[in-house]
Amino acid sequence: MKKEDLSQKGVSRRSVLKGAAAVGAMASLGGIALNLAKPGTAEAMVRKLPAKWDETWDVVIIGSGFAGLAAAAEAAGAGAKTVILEKMPIYGGNSIINGGGYGAWDDKLHLRKKLNLGDDSVKQHFDDTLKGGDYFNIPELVDVLVKESPAALNWMIDEGGLKLREVLTRGGGHTAYRCHFSETMWGKDYTEALKKIAEKRGAKMVLNSQVTWIWRKDADPKSPVLGVEVKRGKKILNLKAKKAVVLASGGFGRDIKMRMEQFPKLTDAFNSTNHKGATGEMIRYAQAVGADALHLNFIQLYPFADPETGTLDTPAVFPFSGPGRGAIYVSKNGKRFVSELERRDVCAFAQTNMGAAMKPTYTIFSADMVPLMGYKPAELEAGLKKGRFVPANSIAELAKKIGIPEAALVETVNKHNQYLKDGKDPDFNKPITKAMLPLDKGPFYAVAQWPAVHHTMGGLRINKNAQVIDLFGSVIPRLYAAGEVAGGVHGSNRLGTNATADCVVFGRISGTNAAKEKAL
Amino acid sequence: MKKSMLTLFALACLLSHYVVGGPVEAAKPAAKVSKTSCATCHTDLSAVVPKGHPPVKGSDIAACLGCHKPDASGKAAKNRISTGLHRAHVGEGGKVDCMMCHTWKPGKSFGLQDQKVSFGSPTKDELEAMKKVFASWKSSGYTDTLHGKAGIVCGGCHGSAMAREGDTVENSRCLECHGPMEKLAKKSEPQDFPDRNPHKSHLGEIACTVCHKGHAESKTYCIECHKLFKMKKIPGGSASQ
Repeated sequence: MKKEDLSQKGVSRRSVLKGAAAVGAMASLGGIALNLAKPGTAEAMVRKLPAKWDETWDVVIIGSGFAGLAAAAEAAGAGAKTVILEKMPIYGGNSIINGGGYGAWDDKLHLRKKLNLGDDSVKQHFDDTLKGGDYFNIPELVDVLVKESPAALNWMIDEGGLKLREVLTRGGGHTAYRCHFSETMWGKDYTEALKKIAEKRGAKMVLNSQVTWIWRKDADPKSPVLGVEVKRGKKILNLKAKKAVVLASGGFGRDIKMRMEQFPKLTDAFNSTNHKGATGEMIRYAQAVGADALHLNFIQLYPFADPETGTLDTPAVFPFSGPGRGAIYVSKNGKRFVSELERRDVCAFAQTNMGAAMKPTYTIFSADMVPLMGYKPAELEAGLKKGRFVPANSIAELAKKIGIPEAALVETVNKHNQYLKDGKDPDFNKPITKAMLPLDKGPFYAVAQWPAVHHTMGGLRINKNAQVIDLFGSVIPRLYAAGEVAGGVHGSNRLGTNATADCVVFGRISGTNAAKEKAL
Repeated sequence: MKKSMLTLFALACLLSHYVVGGPVEAAKPAAKVSKTSCATCHTDLSAVVPKGHPPVKGSDIAACLGCHKPDASGKAAKNRISTGLHRAHVGEGGKVDCMMCHTWKPGKSFGLQDQKVSFGSPTKDELEAMKKVFASWKSSGYTDTLHGKAGIVCGGCHGSAMAREGDTVENSRCLECHGPMEKLAKKSEPQDFPDRNPHKSHLGEIACTVCHKGHAESKTYCIECHKLFKMKKIPGGSASQ
């Protein structure tokens, strides 16, 4: 990227907050800080900058998921004294419990070629991502995502010891087999690889450290972010960031109030796949110091979560990985209700629109599909033992076991088998491929599923350098954001496995650029 | 543990260390209080020591210290005197006044009557917090009580420095007595679903304190997401899990 892109345009104009600006201009450290959190109240004008800093770092990163770890690795690698602040008692956020998928049109192992799974390209990944997001995505961000995704994956393999499974799947909305999966099919494989790189390069991580404010003196576009306020136990500390603050704090899927403000339908009746720390407060703190946000109402439901708890356990990834190999989704009536290769929003709303009485729906797959989806026999066994998978030797028996009409399910499966032969799905217009198997040979399995709040596509507005943009379109100096906390990469609907790539790619960019800032 | 791990409230340890470490000189009380001898309440000290204890000569704490040598680990049988003394004297809800035995100048010193020793300099707030912790240690039923019953005082977990609010305990400290982790994992492995093991979970090695709270109710973190898991009751946790 060009160097001049990084320095914010010095647009000279008056601060919207004239009062704050006037006072702020006179005060140095210990003066008045900007606070839009409570406009109109006295507090909005009198939040005082800390008189002293308790700790001083070059780069302060908030959040220890994929994006925060990648940012830390790059910042520390460039010589910056780097700390990651994690509010939870364990590291990794949603990343460490994610399903282990990574979207990339290529990789150093050239798996697609090796597995003979057709063609793909940067452009195809770009087009799919934009189409999947209904073209709400910011194209220049998507461009960075798809171009840098393979390199970021290779980086984790080379430097972090990441291991991949020899499998590529085609998740909903992707037109190619490009969903990579790590060895254990857990996001932890990536977080461990990234943590290894970050720690090797000297970054430090502190758990139980909740950021409660971002320090910025003024809304003037020249006014940089100075540091953060942190709650650690009962102590309140102020941390100076000499170079930059990187927000990598994730989304707000578990903040019911915040998600309902944006999308009132997502009441507490919806489960969530997220960890309980996904509450989005950093988005509000960034907004309170002038940051712009976009797409906050685009909230993704994972269509196939465990209906009872909302967890995204290993069995809940089968319905995502299955359709490319011929798995089908059926309702309680034994009928298909959507093209199984549809995007997540379409699959989710096809279920919720049938009404809560139709919970759950099922994915039907066969034993022969399991290895092709990338799973080991032990993973099938574990799912059976836990009661998540229901087995049967015939489709009729399976219908009986899960309590749906036998005749209807048999008919649905037979019809679908015919569609595969014909290469055409007149019911839902699913693009049939040769990689799909018919459901004509048992044993067969069913896994129950229902949508749960999963990913918040919206967030802080960033540019391709991962710099946070203010309400007037200027860069907020020394403030970066990457991963789910940022918005605009995925548009209205994120394609499965694009998030991990998004986090690692923009995490790296934010860390690299944060370290390049001249120390205050 | 080679390092001496004396604690503020490991009164007997400290006293014995002091006594054994050098001649006791007559010291001015740190604060103006009347001297409290054990005999003020206990006319016969022999009557309050555990069964089978050798006869006690003398009427104050010095009588104990010849035998009860300091013990850094906080778990040796002989150190139980410190645990025992505090457990017996901290009333339910911390009602017994620390100043029965201790001397204190807020923010400056905290010692023992008639002894030239200071264990730290707690402020008023810190001492109040400490009293609450002691009450919890005695009878809350949390991890602290379980340790107290086993003869563990503050230093057993917190080390020699005076524990402060917000301090945490590193895994290595827990594992010195409870480890290695593999042993714990073996012990907590469910028969039906071996992978639903809180000591060997998909989160990797996490801090013991994520679930095991010292002075608050322990909670199994797994349940935060896996709401339907049936898990054994965690020690020091509520019975409802």
